Amino acid sequence: MVEASKINNYGASFKRSPIFYIITRIVVLFFIIIIIFPLLYTLSLSVRSPETVYSARYFLIPYEFSFENYIDAFVNAEQKLKVSFPRMFLNSAVVTSLSVTLIISMSIFAAFAFSHLRFPLKESLYNVMIASVAMPAQVLLIPLFYILIYLGIINTYQAVILAYAGFLIPIGILILRMFYEQIPYELTEAGTVDGASDFQLLMKVLLPLAKPAIATCVILLFLDTWNEFIYAMIFMQDPTIHTVPVGLAKIGTSRYQVNIGTYSASVMITIIPVMIIFAVFQRWFIAGMTMGALKH
Amino acid sequence: MIYKTFQFRTLLYLLPAVFIFLTFNVIPGLTSLVLSFFDFTGFETNLFRKFVGFDNFIKIYEDKYFWIALKNTFLFVFGAVFIQTGIALILSIFIFFGNFKFSVLVRSIIFFPCVLAPVSVGLVWKKILEQDGVLNSILGLDYSWLSSISLVMWLIIMVNTWQWIGYNLVIYYAGLQSMNIELLEASDIDGANWSQKIFSIVIPLLWPTTILNMILNLIGGFRAFDIVYVLTRGGPAHYSEVLASYLYYYSFSAGGHNKMGVGASVAFVIFACILTIAIARIIVSKRIERR
Repeated sequence: MVEASKINNYGASFKRSPIFYIITRIVVLFFIIIIIFPLLYTLSLSVRSPETVYSARYFLIPYEFSFENYIDAFVNAEQKLKVSFPRMFLNSAVVTSLSVTLIISMSIFAAFAFSHLRFPLKESLYNVMIASVAMPAQVLLIPLFYILIYLGIINTYQAVILAYAGFLIPIGILILRMFYEQIPYELTEAGTVDGASDFQLLMKVLLPLAKPAIATCVILLFLDTWNEFIYAMIFMQDPTIHTVPVGLAKIGTSRYQVNIGTYSASVMITIIPVMIIFAVFQRWFIAGMTMGALKH
Repeated sequence: MIYKTFQFRTLLYLLPAVFIFLTFNVIPGLTSLVLSFFDFTGFETNLFRKFVGFDNFIKIYEDKYFWIALKNTFLFVFGAVFIQTGIALILSIFIFFGNFKFSVLVRSIIFFPCVLAPVSVGLVWKKILEQDGVLNSILGLDYSWLSSISLVMWLIIMVNTWQWIGYNLVIYYAGLQSMNIELLEASDIDGANWSQKIFSIVIPLLWPTTILNMILNLIGGFRAFDIVYVLTRGGPAHYSEVLASYLYYYSFSAGGHNKMGVGASVAFVIFACILTIAIARIIVSKRIERR
């Protein structure tokens, strides 16, 4: 691994100072504990039996293990929210996959127009897109609500999918345009000389090379749409189409208090799948989010 | 450029994306600005019927909770820009130069909360901070953390930092990996100690990355809503309201007495803040270029 050898090389300059060695160990250990403890604690609460839920060895190790809380969490969601956890995950999956697909398929073409074709007002439009990336989603909330009512799609998947598409399309276009422009000019020129049309150039030359950029987009958009809360809450108020964050927020902040075990199990049900996906694709996630940030 | 002139077919590539972008982003954004001069509650069909001039703005100007929300938003942004970036800077340098055996694992652990929904993170912390929560058991206290007017905003900032520090960390990592190592080697020959190396070489070299992180956190700071909503819902008594949650409260949760015009004028304020920052950023970056 190139990366690993590089890290050792950098650290070499700091190897001879014991104080630095000790301070780094203490500080980093401290932060690791701070990061892990809340998650482990919630996990611990969720696997305690209802009788021992308020006590544990060293705050973390349950006296009595039990998965009863998870069963309660599923039942509680179904009875009180009128939407089961599997249904919430299905709703989130539908919304996420459709919005990401829609955004990426449109960005692939639009970014090509921005990078390789000429049209009037190109840079002005691009600047508006860059500016819109910085705008908080809440600014659009009220007018979007009425546009979606007017279109008659409020309380459907389409409402949120279109809202996400409008809000996130600039991110897809920004990343893909930057990537297309990094592809050596000679490649597209060679294609034009061979008589390829613009469409063929995009499909046969640029897209195969743009796979990493598309992967970056997929990761960023997946996280943004899967975790999104305020649009999903307001544009899909019908309980049966609640997404995971909306359903969870309702369980966690409802007036009818759920008991702490059920509460923690509900939170863990939303965290564990993300944890598994992250464990498998962590390098992609980190690389994707870093690349996404550098676009600014 | 493939073509020297504008071709009609270019529109085919462009139109779907631009249409969606305009309909669901630019037009609502501009409408929001216009709507802040109208009074509507969310039950009319014609929103533009009752023009009230600056009444909505006067209303929020006179509302003490608006000023609390504004102050809290700036406090939150301050926390994200300075505290969060600062901790991430130190932490990334320590992990990067610390010769850790499992540095990749350490980085992944600290990064992990970034991929979680803010709602899940907020709920995890809510139980910890409650009066019968584990924080009080550890500290041996009996304190209702989230009901404290003076502490609640700092706790929200802390939870937000907890979630997003790994994001700044991996961006710093990218900056550190592209750093010129020869300067460090040269300073070794000159006999610089570790703190001199960090403060006189590494941190100055990381300055562009620091600026990037600060800008990202600044933008993210104005966006914060989910975490406030699940942790406190703006409470106690609106003392942890930020602009976004204040907007939500007026427009959607006042139960039949929604004042969406007021909400729109809050959106106007957020818009103005972001625009000011964007313009300032352009001016600053132009000045740096001129040097």
